[in-house]
Amino acid sequence: MSRISGACLIFHMDTQSESLPNHKSPQRDHRWIAHVDLDAFFASCEQREYPEYRGRPVIIGALPGHRGVVAAASYEARKFGVHSAMPISEAARRCPDAVYLRPDMAKYRRVSKQIFKILETITPVVETASIDEAYLDVSGLERLMGPPEVIGRTIRQRICEQTGLTASVGIGPNRLIAKLGSEFCKPDGLTVIYPDKVSGFLAPMPVSNLRGLGHQTGKIFNTLGIRTIAQLRNFPLSLLEEHLGGKAAANFRRQAFGTASDRVMPGQRRKSISKETTFENDIRDNDILHDVLRRLAADVAMTARREGLSGSIVTLKIRYTGFETHTRQQKRQAPTQDEREILKTAWSLYLDGKLPRKPVRLIGVGISDWGKEKAVQTDLFDQPKQRELDQRLLKTIDNVTGKFGKGMLQLGLSRNDDK
Amino acid sequence: MKLSIQREELLTPLQQVIGVVERRQTLPVLGNILLDADEKGITFTATDLEVELQTRIAAKVETPGKITIPARKILDICRTLPETATIEITVSKERARIQSGKSRFQLSTLPASDFPAVEKISQAKEFSVSQATLKTLIDRTIFAMAQQDVRYYLNGLMLETGKSVLRAVATDGHRLALCEFESETGESEEQQIIIPRKGVQELHRLLVESDDPVNIEIGSNHIRVTTPVIRFTSKLIDGRFPDYQRVIPKDGDKRVLADREKMRQALLRTSILSNEKYRGIRLGISNKLLKIQAHNPEQEEAEEEFEIDYNGDSLEIGFNVTYLLDALSALSGDHVEVVLHDANSSCLIEEPGSNQCRYVVMPMRL
Repeated sequence: MSRISGACLIFHMDTQSESLPNHKSPQRDHRWIAHVDLDAFFASCEQREYPEYRGRPVIIGALPGHRGVVAAASYEARKFGVHSAMPISEAARRCPDAVYLRPDMAKYRRVSKQIFKILETITPVVETASIDEAYLDVSGLERLMGPPEVIGRTIRQRICEQTGLTASVGIGPNRLIAKLGSEFCKPDGLTVIYPDKVSGFLAPMPVSNLRGLGHQTGKIFNTLGIRTIAQLRNFPLSLLEEHLGGKAAANFRRQAFGTASDRVMPGQRRKSISKETTFENDIRDNDILHDVLRRLAADVAMTARREGLSGSIVTLKIRYTGFETHTRQQKRQAPTQDEREILKTAWSLYLDGKLPRKPVRLIGVGISDWGKEKAVQTDLFDQPKQRELDQRLLKTIDNVTGKFGKGMLQLGLSRNDDK
Repeated sequence: MKLSIQREELLTPLQQVIGVVERRQTLPVLGNILLDADEKGITFTATDLEVELQTRIAAKVETPGKITIPARKILDICRTLPETATIEITVSKERARIQSGKSRFQLSTLPASDFPAVEKISQAKEFSVSQATLKTLIDRTIFAMAQQDVRYYLNGLMLETGKSVLRAVATDGHRLALCEFESETGESEEQQIIIPRKGVQELHRLLVESDDPVNIEIGSNHIRVTTPVIRFTSKLIDGRFPDYQRVIPKDGDKRVLADREKMRQALLRTSILSNEKYRGIRLGISNKLLKIQAHNPEQEEAEEEFEIDYNGDSLEIGFNVTYLLDALSALSGDHVEVVLHDANSSCLIEEPGSNQCRYVVMPMRL
């Protein structure tokens, strides 16, 4: 595998600008945020462990002949046009000779932990964005390590030396620029964007690079003839507001001018817990869907309890034949880690979410929004004694599961409950 | 079908029934309004399969007929025509032609036979109350209905008949509103029904302060309310309303008597600096004094104090200020009685000397 030889792009300050970069002075009016993104993380973990996979396309996800999607693809596989979230059948068609593997999350979590430890040797201000992505606040490290280019190089070098994996690093004055920077030089690269270069760095980029720009908004931008960020900047705000609403318009405009948060929250926990499953054959039967959802909800709830998290938002995800995907969310009155509550909310989303009644290919459920509820509104029909009993019951189930494995003890929710 | 009508006469019935026409429908015909014209007049019907509204006007009909036409479009056309316009509606083939002076419109139609009719109301029990009574029952409770709660039976208004009382109860689990009248119906058998949220809102919109009686029919799956101008039919929520009697507190030992308007104003001012999301405020009662406090995440603070009629132990308790304000606004009378027990128990708000309307609010742990 290639070592620290990857591209290093520096969007540097002009030498003719009045203030020359002065790395000795820690006084600046901006921060330096680094975004570290492991390249094809799952696939690279496998290639590291099995030398025979190196240099070969590796696709992690469902196995060909079964149903499901690509969770990760090595860069060798990406050359064939395979990318994550692609149906596995499509991947198999494009790249039949790839190595197909089921994900081994425990392994990836181990490696991820190791990498975060390394990042913490750079700075204690490390925020976990996902299993293979982190934000670091590296402001004020210049004295210790040198200019941002050197910091970026050091991050990449340490990860590579200690784990054999490559990472792309973007460094800029805020989170958005850092993230776009790491994407800019993927894989195995480093981009540093100085504040006075942000505008020029963004200008030619397609608007689709902006955060929160989905399919629908993309269509709107397209009809408005906005393709690049430079075009978005010059587009009249009032017109944009008319098409996107005030909030979204302001958000995209802020991004277009390179304004974003520069706060890195160390110790940030996961933002959501979710489980989903793809059926071998599309399902129409509500009884089966309910049953599967029940198991997924139990999985989610158990993870939540293990990690001591309660979520107030329940999300239902449904994918139909033809890959049409819908999600529905509901904010609950109170956060929960009880599978019955999660199931109840998810099932009511399924029934009342104005979803098409078509055969279901995939179903998933998740919880999020841990928000420390400072103020708790008590409920008229709440029974504190019942709640205590419930907590003991769930704890017992978790203990039995911990000892004897998943599914040994489950709640006997009747199949026709709440339907 | 062919008829001619003044704009004003057509606009009123359209506006009365439009409320139930959803902007996005599961069935195309639900976006339409059913016009049934006979020799004496026209009947207008709109439905979303849950609530149906029907009204009738007298009109000169040249050729009777039945047809459905796009509800919002006909309303918008009618609304934007000049006030004194005469509108001529002619249906031929699959088109409805709307003509007024030099304005001409061709609207698509769907056959009247596609329009879903409500099931017949079976085993109905029937009684009548004054329109004002029904309006008050809803006025005083409507705000406490739940919205999209998983406890689907809370997403509506419970109407209880029998035992010489007509009672409406609504709750979202955090607060409860109850209003009752001596029954003018002579019912003996007790019955509870739950009218879905949307139906309640539509009915509320159509009721006026009037002593004229309205006719109420309650079947096993439907309620029908007939006023002089409109016939309202709604499906019922198939569920059991929780035992509301159980959650009306009876052990309240701290009775606070306050000037209702004064308290409402104080709460209103305090609410400005309560947390926008949780709306929490703190009430502190002590001898002769009520203290209201709020602060928000920006650490801004509000504090109000005023005199009350109270003698007893002091208590500090948190509430969602919106719930208190809703209750105080729904009550009438100069004074209000707030009955409390402890910081974890619900409070009862009512008019002193009358328990026609009762409001129960659960506290907030702040």
